[in-house]
Amino acid sequence: MNTARAETLAARAQLLEQGGWEFRRLEAFRFVPPPAAAVWLGDEPCGSCDASPLAGAGWTLHPVGAAGLVDARWLDASDSTQRAALFAGLPLPGDDAVAPFAWAHRALCRQGLRLRVAAAADAEAPPLMLQLRHLPRETVEAPLLVVELEPGARCVIVETHERDAVGCSRDLVQNLQIHLRLGQGARLQHWRQVEPAAGDRIAHHLDLRLGAGAHYAQALLAVGSAYHLQRTQVQFDGEDATAQLGSVLLADAQQLDQQVRMIHGASRSTSTARALALARGKALVASDQYAHVRPGVENADIHQHLAGIPTGGAPRLVMRPQLEIENDAVQAAHGTTWGRLPEESIFFARQRGLDEATALSLILHGMAAAELERGLGDEALCETVGARQALEAALTRLLSAAPAAAPATEASHG
Amino acid sequence: MKQAEKTAAGPLLSVRGLRVDIANKRILRSVDFEVDAGELVVVMGANGSGKSTLALALAGHPRYEVAGSASLAGQDLLAMPVEARARAGLFLSFQAPPDIPGVKNNLFIRTALNSQRASRGEAEIDAFDFLGQAKSGAKRLGLPETMLGRPVNEGFSGGERKRNELLQLSLFKPRVALLDEIDSGLDVDGVRALVELIAGMRQEGTAFVVVSHYLHLIEMLEPTRVLRLHEGCIAESGDLELARSITSQGFAAAAAPAAAVAGA
Repeated sequence: MNTARAETLAARAQLLEQGGWEFRRLEAFRFVPPPAAAVWLGDEPCGSCDASPLAGAGWTLHPVGAAGLVDARWLDASDSTQRAALFAGLPLPGDDAVAPFAWAHRALCRQGLRLRVAAAADAEAPPLMLQLRHLPRETVEAPLLVVELEPGARCVIVETHERDAVGCSRDLVQNLQIHLRLGQGARLQHWRQVEPAAGDRIAHHLDLRLGAGAHYAQALLAVGSAYHLQRTQVQFDGEDATAQLGSVLLADAQQLDQQVRMIHGASRSTSTARALALARGKALVASDQYAHVRPGVENADIHQHLAGIPTGGAPRLVMRPQLEIENDAVQAAHGTTWGRLPEESIFFARQRGLDEATALSLILHGMAAAELERGLGDEALCETVGARQALEAALTRLLSAAPAAAPATEASHG
Repeated sequence: MKQAEKTAAGPLLSVRGLRVDIANKRILRSVDFEVDAGELVVVMGANGSGKSTLALALAGHPRYEVAGSASLAGQDLLAMPVEARARAGLFLSFQAPPDIPGVKNNLFIRTALNSQRASRGEAEIDAFDFLGQAKSGAKRLGLPETMLGRPVNEGFSGGERKRNELLQLSLFKPRVALLDEIDSGLDVDGVRALVELIAGMRQEGTAFVVVSHYLHLIEMLEPTRVLRLHEGCIAESGDLELARSITSQGFAAAAAPAAAVAGA
């Protein structure tokens, strides 16, 4: 047995030894508990079907090795040497809430991409733009992405998740782990578009570590599915680091769980997390935003803002901002609004001649676009990376479609 | 100036026995007045007398329960949804125009304008032509051109919001415009631009109902009539002298008549 195979089996064993898959007891997962471990390990019985197997390329990168600043390595996790390189420097799953997902990932991961981005010689040059597309390779998969920005590097990542257009009618199970490491003074603007099919069950875990003076900006568009978890944890390792997240969460009769963890471990670190959830039908959307300021960390600055708006039917929206502060010298502001359509703005728009549906659509598009722009921190970049167009399409689908039926608890394929 | 003209079916805007309630509280008991094309009627009244309610109720704000009758060019205004009233030519300038985050001002105005044009069977105005008109209008009104590319009213000062309302008024070219304290927040240049805009639009036949407390503005507007709203009715109707009298004596001193003035 090679080392890679042994590690895979060890990960399975660890998952079982650490108590398995008891998410229902965890506060963060109370509202949208994930499917059983067997689903994520590929052990779930698969009924026979005629659907074509998935044959996506996994991660594709454009441009590869841009201007000599990017070192890209696709690594095979079933090869011992490549597996060691793929997981090099990444923490072993700990005993935190999501350790079972991490062990399941280690047990199933077959391929990953590691990127190393260097700083451009010309500090005034526009940031490097990398297009990262992910097409599932298998119906149950655990892809890995590791991105390291060297000190001073500046980069825009456009991360999209697509389904193979040809013959893909199977539901997907995807346990994705992304590790982002920003060196001192590095800057990353990250556009994430995750629109799974209705029957897909996906969990995306982003683990970020920010060096001194590093800046991370993320705009996320996520739509609901049979199970959809987006969990982002940001560790502020260096002083004066900043992170801002702007999320738009859309769900029509499906589930969507967003969890954000901002861990302020260094002074003068700033975090901003905003989310707008629009849901209809019998959707269940949870957004749990937690910020922790550790003892001895001075002058951290925290902002959390959550808004949930039902657009039809009787969706359940759970919006939870949470602060845990262990130092007096902190600025923090958080707030949640739930269920209020901007009635005065709708009346204003109708008074200008727009019918009610158009007025509502225009205003909700605007609110959602504003969240994405706040996340990326750059209105023009939102256009460039296609964020506005993607939002337009997704929101139009949500507002115009008849409410979808709730997905079956058991997927029909895969 | 084009003289006041009645439409074939009667006055351009006719309000009869208008009664408005909100949350079981009566705000307007019975309001009667009419306005013809090119006319300008000023509505004065103490705080809480129902001036803004009158404007919002005519525009169709869903918060109000409305009875009585109101017609615009012979059409039953109260039977129309909000947007149909706007498309029929009724414009309301808001006392406190709301923000619309994330929606660019020029996109919003053009979308609304095209919606009105489509309802009249007119072709859409293209983005280039619209921008030219909007820039020219903004310049005339002293609204910085950059405001066109920003989200509607977001981060605008009070005066900029009012100028933005005036910009929409000038682009929509309504038949009847209800202006609710349009002068509040405007500086002297803004007031001058407002007066010039209104005078020009009256020449073209637009009728105005202006809610204002300020005699200086009222005098500059050369109103056709001045109405005093009191306890939910039109208590007095007169000319500029009524506005001067109210300004010098105050609302409290003005005698409230026993009955409403019909056909003001």
